[in-house]
Amino acid sequence: MKKSIALISVVLALLMIVAGCSKNSSSDTSASSKSASSAKVSITLLNSKGEIQTGLEKIAAQFEKDKGIHVEVIACGAGEVPYTKITTMYNSGNAPTLAILDPTDIVALAKEYALDLTGEAWTAETDALNLTIDGKIYSFPFCVEGRGIIYNQDAIESVLGRAFDPDTINSYSSFKAILEELRAKGMENPVFVAKEDWSLGAHQLGFIYDAYDGTTAGSAEIINSLKNGTDPLTVDRFNQFVDTMDLLLEYNFAKADPLGADYDQGALELACGNVAFWPNGCWAWPNLVEGGAESDGRFGFISFVLGDDTSDFANTMIQASASKQIMVDRIQSSSEEQEAAKEFISYLVYNDNGQRMFVEETALIPAAKNNPYEPLDPLGKDIAKRTAEGRLYTSCFIAPSDHWSVMGAAMQKYIAGMSSKKELASTLSQYWKAQK
Amino acid sequence: MTDASKKVGGTKKIVIDIVLFALVVVLFVIFMIPFLMTILNSFKVKMDILRDPLSLSPSKGFSFSNYVEAFQKMNYLTAFFNSFIVTGLSTFFVTVLSAMCAYYYVRHDNKFSRICSSLMSASMIIPFQAIMIPLVYIYGARLGLLNHRGTLIFMHTGFAMSMSVFIFQGFIKSNVPLALEEAAKIDGCGRYRTFFQIVFPLLGPTTATLIILNVLAFWNDYLLPSLVLGVKAIKTLPLSTYEFYGTFSADYGLIMAALILTVLPILVIYLVLQKAIISGVVAGAVK
Amino acid sequence: MKKSTIYDIKAGLMFALPGLLVFFLVVIIPFVYGFYLTFTDWNGVSQVKSMVGFQNYIDTFKDTEFWSSMWLTLRYVVISVILVNTVAFLLAYLLSNGIKGQNFFRAGFFTPNLIGGVVLGFIWKFIFSNVFTAVGKTLGADWLSKSMLSAPKSAYFALILVTVWQLAGYMMLIYIAGFTGLSHDVLEAASIDGATGWRRMRSIILPLMVPSFVICIFLTLSRTFMVYDLNLTLTKGGPYASTRLVAMHVYEKAFTSRNYGVGQAEALFLFVVVALISGLQVWMGRKKEVAA
Repeated sequence: MKKSIALISVVLALLMIVAGCSKNSSSDTSASSKSASSAKVSITLLNSKGEIQTGLEKIAAQFEKDKGIHVEVIACGAGEVPYTKITTMYNSGNAPTLAILDPTDIVALAKEYALDLTGEAWTAETDALNLTIDGKIYSFPFCVEGRGIIYNQDAIESVLGRAFDPDTINSYSSFKAILEELRAKGMENPVFVAKEDWSLGAHQLGFIYDAYDGTTAGSAEIINSLKNGTDPLTVDRFNQFVDTMDLLLEYNFAKADPLGADYDQGALELACGNVAFWPNGCWAWPNLVEGGAESDGRFGFISFVLGDDTSDFANTMIQASASKQIMVDRIQSSSEEQEAAKEFISYLVYNDNGQRMFVEETALIPAAKNNPYEPLDPLGKDIAKRTAEGRLYTSCFIAPSDHWSVMGAAMQKYIAGMSSKKELASTLSQYWKAQK
Repeated sequence: MTDASKKVGGTKKIVIDIVLFALVVVLFVIFMIPFLMTILNSFKVKMDILRDPLSLSPSKGFSFSNYVEAFQKMNYLTAFFNSFIVTGLSTFFVTVLSAMCAYYYVRHDNKFSRICSSLMSASMIIPFQAIMIPLVYIYGARLGLLNHRGTLIFMHTGFAMSMSVFIFQGFIKSNVPLALEEAAKIDGCGRYRTFFQIVFPLLGPTTATLIILNVLAFWNDYLLPSLVLGVKAIKTLPLSTYEFYGTFSADYGLIMAALILTVLPILVIYLVLQKAIISGVVAGAVK
Repeated sequence: MKKSTIYDIKAGLMFALPGLLVFFLVVIIPFVYGFYLTFTDWNGVSQVKSMVGFQNYIDTFKDTEFWSSMWLTLRYVVISVILVNTVAFLLAYLLSNGIKGQNFFRAGFFTPNLIGGVVLGFIWKFIFSNVFTAVGKTLGADWLSKSMLSAPKSAYFALILVTVWQLAGYMMLIYIAGFTGLSHDVLEAASIDGATGWRRMRSIILPLMVPSFVICIFLTLSRTFMVYDLNLTLTKGGPYASTRLVAMHVYEKAFTSRNYGVGQAEALFLFVVVALISGLQVWMGRKKEVAA
């Protein structure tokens, strides 16, 4: 009894001493950092892409060396919704000077909080990818991300025993034919469909908007018509999408337990060649590497085929857009900080170190077309090649923030065989009607 | 009672004891599965973890590289120091303040104390999400007090008050005899002296339990520190592991290694203090 | 009379005030401000907000998903409270009879509490979707090779399982304290009277343990009602939103659907429900305590 009390009080006493020291030391450091900050500007960058945190920190360090501006990169990891994070940061008076966010979030925040960047020089380098809101540009298109169906060429060729040309897959039927052939030659289920709601709800289902006519304006058009009560079952793209989805599910590697199939497993199975196709995007590369893929591996994209028209852009091109945008805070940052923030963006676009490190450290594809550095991985290379050939469509549909979660759940139900096409259509229809 | 019946009772008791012991062991093993899997897989690379988490001979072998990488990326020593300060001071304040508060509630059973006491009990069930935004608004936008360890300590103390008071209250009511205090009063002890020299030591077992519970809560807390501490230099351990979770996928090996690194200090403290705690509990009971 | 009032106030200033002050500043004031926000149409980030009266409360009543997640939570709470306390009581009983390695086991059963909610959910997700399925495949057992998290019922069960795993050790500690607090004299007297086994348990131990039960049930109630971290990282509300408990729904309402006022109103409503239920429970417990 006495002993435990004694022990506890010793611990507490120790803590008090340490705390006393630390208080002094912390006030010292804060004072010194303050005096330092008066000498040079210090800004913050909210990063909503966990996987590039380390890369961004390296860029920030180089930026500080080159330009004398300190950038603190704030991570926003799993379990934290970027929008919630920035909301709380604004409420706390600690708004980040720069924030990497999804286009949807930019749209929600832009008019009230974002600095108008319309006049910036770099807007010419990112032209088609700029996100315009009422004719103004409030954000810098940070990176390009493309999505479609990723293939593993080696895996396909070793099963088929012949060469495989991805360009031949340009319709529902040609895709179906190759899946049949793969199955006949021993690869029973050549497709992996991941169960994540963001993947199913935003990336897969999103094709019905993005592939409407390949432009953001077109996606808004179809969304509006759904809001006005158009029955999805009468929309061609919806019917084509469900057909393709059914095809994918028929050849799904995880058929036995479709909702047990997670993203990580998908990367692994594709990298190992246990499956040939995986509907996903270029962000999957680091995960393919973790699964054993080499940077000279033969991976690339085919379109998420829709219908049988081989000249349809949706079957010859893949979707790619600036899925992450950077906004600069207008309200809580000083003009000095805002200038520093703009300088950071220019650094990424024009400075050689910035250009190089952007490509090498984050492994993303820059939206600015003046960046001379080649992507290092096969998926990035495929996108770069398609950019050069003009085989990308840049539609980027804007949906309310809960779209992916509501429709993701509906899609999960569908791939688990717990709901029919009709029910999926009615959920979609009801979702949009409620948004009016 | 005859010798024979005693003997029968004896063997029966031994059999029951063995069965009970076996039951405890089985339950224990089930309880430990997640930890064993975590430890095992923290030495593997992600591919091997996903391929076969049970494998004892992974293709890339076992290595410490996850630990080395996690240690560096977490900024371990700084984060550890921050966690240590925040947890230690918060625990100290909440223990002392809540014991005092509970003591008042029990010894001065008036309207005011009854209202405050029920307010505290009720506050234990406020969903944190319901005060999260107002909290950062008041302390951040209005008072500009965020990004200080002191603010976090202050908030931890406030949030942990209710439960600690609640538990102390029950204990004081049933286990601290009023007679002792009256004797002290007659001896001319001041109120603070009476409390800290007579009453507080009697709370030993409860204090020990509460310290453990609060230390754990503070050490592991994520949401509140993430709201208060934005600057890297003052981040606590749970905050520093957060970037291991990507948007689409997480680095299993790193997370598991980081988890072990986070839990280890607290486990050591727990194991060291555990004897004191248990003996404290027993001593408190036997008096 | 008057003298005692002054005495009370002075003692209040000395003992209760510091703690109460911190408590009010950190909990009550933000809570009141949050209450005010439920009468506005604020979206969580905008600089303008206008008063909308009771609209958010009306929306709360109209939000069918809120009610279904409330019902789901209610069932989850009842099952969890029963299981957690049964397991915890059993463990405490087994581990306060001088069993071999008692301290070691106590520490072991408590270890789940050494891990925070977010990481804990992550680890269990890994166990359910990778480890158990690997075991299933090795054994060739079909039912085990499917992830428990991929079907609504089993995912719900998984949530309960992890809750029990996490909370049982915590409650065990409180029950152990209760057992150790039982006066040896009473127990000895009871065994001299010939009270053994079940009878000793039922008529002597259980009534004396009522205070521990009250505390433990209260703690499990409040914790399970508001479980969020675990829900988020273990099932993320899935599959197809079938395991979205009420705290998660409230959170998503406020931040994902950007309907802060309604989310806040629903959170307050949740608070009232939990307050009523746990208040009732404590009151009933205290009555039993007095009767015993």
